[in-house]
Amino acid sequence: MTDRSDHTRATWRQSLQGWLWVAPALLFLVVFVYGPALTNIRFSLFSFSAMSLDWDFVGFDNYLRLWNDPKFTTALTNNAIYAVISVACQVGVALTLAAVLEARVFPDLSANLFRTALFLPSILPVVVVGLVWQLLMTPTTGLIDQLLWETGLSSWSKAWLGEPDTAIFAVIFVSQWQWTGYIMALFMVAIRAVPRDLYEAMEIDGASGIQQFWHITVPGVRETILIVTIITILGSLKVFDIVWVMTAGGPNHSSEVLGTLMYRAAFRDDMIGYSSTIATVIFFIALTIGLMQIKLQKDR
Amino acid sequence: MKHLLAMTALATGILASLPGLAQDKTVVSFLHKFPEPENMAYFDAAVAEFEAANPAIDIVMESVADEPYKDKIRVLMASDQVPDIYFSWSGEFGRKFAREGRTLDLTEALAGPEWQGRFAAASLEPFQFEGKQFGIPVNVDSKYMIYNKAIFEKHGLAVPTTFADFIALNDALLAAGEVPIAYGNQSPWAATHYIGDLFAKMVPDDVRQADYQLLAPADQLYTHPGYVEALALYKSFGDKGYFNNGANAISHQQARGAFIAGRSAMVYLELVEFYMLADTPVAEQGWGFFPLPPMEGAAGRNDLLTGAPDGFLISAKTEHPQEALAFLNFITSPEQAAKYVSTTGMTSAVIGSVTEETTTPETLAGLKALEDAAGMALWLDTDMDTASANVILAAGQGLLSGDETPEAVMEKVRAAAKETLAQR
Repeated sequence: MTDRSDHTRATWRQSLQGWLWVAPALLFLVVFVYGPALTNIRFSLFSFSAMSLDWDFVGFDNYLRLWNDPKFTTALTNNAIYAVISVACQVGVALTLAAVLEARVFPDLSANLFRTALFLPSILPVVVVGLVWQLLMTPTTGLIDQLLWETGLSSWSKAWLGEPDTAIFAVIFVSQWQWTGYIMALFMVAIRAVPRDLYEAMEIDGASGIQQFWHITVPGVRETILIVTIITILGSLKVFDIVWVMTAGGPNHSSEVLGTLMYRAAFRDDMIGYSSTIATVIFFIALTIGLMQIKLQKDR
Repeated sequence: MKHLLAMTALATGILASLPGLAQDKTVVSFLHKFPEPENMAYFDAAVAEFEAANPAIDIVMESVADEPYKDKIRVLMASDQVPDIYFSWSGEFGRKFAREGRTLDLTEALAGPEWQGRFAAASLEPFQFEGKQFGIPVNVDSKYMIYNKAIFEKHGLAVPTTFADFIALNDALLAAGEVPIAYGNQSPWAATHYIGDLFAKMVPDDVRQADYQLLAPADQLYTHPGYVEALALYKSFGDKGYFNNGANAISHQQARGAFIAGRSAMVYLELVEFYMLADTPVAEQGWGFFPLPPMEGAAGRNDLLTGAPDGFLISAKTEHPQEALAFLNFITSPEQAAKYVSTTGMTSAVIGSVTEETTTPETLAGLKALEDAAGMALWLDTDMDTASANVILAAGQGLLSGDETPEAVMEKVRAAAKETLAQR
């Protein structure tokens, strides 16, 4: 009896120690993540403005309104396009670039130059990148427009950020320019962890570079591909800064994403409750993607 | 160990006494939207001068730029951390603070002898709500079409006196291969200055005021055909090529730069931007200005100028109303207003502060034109309710890019206005 109670006490002490160790992090999460998330869900059931201290309970009216808001459809579509292009570029293109640079196709000096040049944009602040590209894309006086005119391609000249058909794609392009090199660096690290003798064995068997890529590199960095894909999709869902800097969701809401829609509702339209509704929707989409990631990783 | 304890006790004592020292002064928080170097040069000096004259008051000043200010003040309102003194545009932007009881009633204070004759009635009126004064004007601004004299002379063109002349002028400039108007509508407030002026000209004044302030019956809100006609006219400017290529992708600052560089014949600028044209290529070529000309036979008013006073409000919850008022009294005194004008290049709402000694001849002439006008058509995006204004803001871009029609825009405005009215 005494042995068992001593054992229980020791286990309890151990358990308490564990809880004490994680308590600060847990407290931080509750105060700054779970608490605000739950409060936000509560806010989404009310209608109130930043100016007024009166709150009207509206139940699920904000959700109904969001569902019928054409700007929400535009934003959701833009986020989806953003995610698809980002996955293609930041996973597909970045992995290919990483494989080429790691395959010693180029001399070391050239490979290092390429690597640095591709990685460099990712260390620049998003606001700076957005403003610089905004200037480059300025109609008539921007460098891109002038290049098109000088090279006889004036028919391609466009107000890239000023036309509803091109604005979101121009922003997505800049985002890929900035982040593809960063993801490429992650893949390069992953590729270096793949045993070299596998490549050597395939070389002896006469496999081409492309065959080596598909049969060794891709399976070898499978885990990284999964994580990078999830990170890229989540990033596309949460995107705000580059869109806000370059187009602020315009022209005429054509490049609106969920992040800008949420921000606009809260800080421009004075609809805090409605903005919380958008935030809640973003939260649940992100949660679903996160759970999918956990499940996919467990399955492996 | 004893030493450690003694040191800790000493440090605690010193720290505890610090708030006591700070409490000797009355802290008045002051938030505005003039962070530009020339503006801060004035405000820094004014705060220092006021604090030197009032050692018991500590003015804690914070400044953010125009666009972020709109966000910041809303966050502060929502979190109930309203500064003692804060900036506001006039019209609905300020009225909604007053409507929600977030401003101190200044009616009685401004009736005092020291305030008498300081401001024109036209500057005070946009800061009134239900007969009460909720704000103090600090500067006045209005919008003018600036033109390059060299380009006008080159093509033998004259300043238009009617709106029909203005259209003909744009056609002549186009035919001559010039870009008639430099226009940057990336931030769509720029569009509201055109649209607001056209609404004022094409919609009867009483109807427009009733619509803007949501005083008309719900089924009659924004039903006057002048609104659609005004939007169609604005759209036609884009369609005919009066504006430069890709206006929606260009900032107002870039458009101003294009005009300064001589790449366009005209640009629509605010009076407070006049000083930026000094010592530029366009200053050498010569420039002049005119308001958007009167429109013959239009249903609205032709004697209004688009513009508005900006001002400061005092929080209804301030613990130091007297000190806050004293500071506003100080910075709007005739001496300080003169310093404000000469340091910043801006105008001032204080009568007699803008003189030949304190500003440029062009700014003086612009202010004279403002004084001669019968009144002001306030900035549209700060005069309408937020929801309706947001529709117009987006439409300013959508009409130019061709994915909106004037009729559809006004349908959306009506829906937004009705919803806002229902919520009040």
